[in-house]
Amino acid sequence: MTHEDDRLPESLRSAARAYNDPPELSRSDLDAMWSAIEKDAFPRRFASPSAERSMSHVGRPRSDIRRWIGARNLLPLAAVLLLGVAIGRFALPRAVPATTIALRAPATDSVAVPEPYQNTTSRYLGQTAALLVALPGEVKAGRADDRFLGRAHDLLLTTRLLLDTPAAADPRFRMLLEDLELVLVQVVRLQSDQGRAELDLIRQALEQRDVLPRLRNAVADISADD
Amino acid sequence: MTSPAVAGEAQRFVNREPELIARVIAGDRLAARELYDAHAPRVFRLAFRFTGDGELARELTQETFIRAFAQLGRFRGDSALSTWLHRVTISVVSNAMRKVKRFRAREADLDEAMMLTVESRRADPDLSDKLYRAIDELPEIYRVTLVMHDVEGYTHEEIANVLGVAEGTCKSRLSVARAQLREKLAPFAKEWLE
Repeated sequence: MTHEDDRLPESLRSAARAYNDPPELSRSDLDAMWSAIEKDAFPRRFASPSAERSMSHVGRPRSDIRRWIGARNLLPLAAVLLLGVAIGRFALPRAVPATTIALRAPATDSVAVPEPYQNTTSRYLGQTAALLVALPGEVKAGRADDRFLGRAHDLLLTTRLLLDTPAAADPRFRMLLEDLELVLVQVVRLQSDQGRAELDLIRQALEQRDVLPRLRNAVADISADD
Repeated sequence: MTSPAVAGEAQRFVNREPELIARVIAGDRLAARELYDAHAPRVFRLAFRFTGDGELARELTQETFIRAFAQLGRFRGDSALSTWLHRVTISVVSNAMRKVKRFRAREADLDEAMMLTVESRRADPDLSDKLYRAIDELPEIYRVTLVMHDVEGYTHEEIANVLGVAEGTCKSRLSVARAQLREKLAPFAKEWLE
């Protein structure tokens, strides 16, 4: 007798298919599980300034001390820190002597990403550029829906992952990733009812940090390396 | 049915898997996340089928990936990564279920003592409930085979690879599982034949 001969009657077979019917995993379920896996399986190897930011803790384990201080107490601290970082970055070229700048600046203007990361990085940069270019139109048309924000969320996660890899060893590229992280955090937090106001803030962030031209340059650099 | 575009994308991912695996072994989280994103839903699905408990299935999914990433260096590529991952899943789930069963048995004793038996809560279960209980009560090796084949739709070849047994063993386990189900549901044969 083959196993097909002793098949259960259709009524039982169809009932059996609903046995412990699994629910669909949400994005936040996947992220929460990943946080636990990452913490256990991958002890942090590359220090990332972004890890210390408290803009969002999605996908990242929160340290005990942060939990102890409490999110409410951290907000003013985070705001001061971000302000300090922003002022520091804008002030740096004027305040620091030219010799120091020369030492800090990379030898060329191009972005260097290690070969194993080039495909992923190139794809990531292309998708991020497409999302940021499409953003104003999507918001104006009221289409910045869950799907669009979900893409931004995915790109934010990839940004953070890239920050933890040797791909971010190039200081110029790391700075671009950090700026993209800040912008994507704002995009993820877009709410339809306040879309216009929030969009203005994002646009300001993009313009002040010259993010889109730098992003396009990075795409061109990495594509040329492929 | 899977569209050609989706199938093409899946194939491209499978082609990239060896490179991703090498990067994970070298400690690359980005590659690990890519593998996780591709396989976690199916691993969770399998864990849920065997546990019926969302929270437990999530924990077991995490445990599966933690163990898989730790042992990835031992993956020789003889089978598909998904097959190897599902083998780890079954192993993690089986270990956990043994503990859960012991715990639930103690809990049931307690309920019985308090005159709150499971039966009294399910006074008149319908056919599905009877079937699910009968599946729950199958010995583990039969339940795993039946759930993978008749519920999740794995082929005998896939189950044999995951469980590390011969295809013939897999077929005979399925026959035994079905026979036991028929036997347990015999008193309600009229109901399920209607």
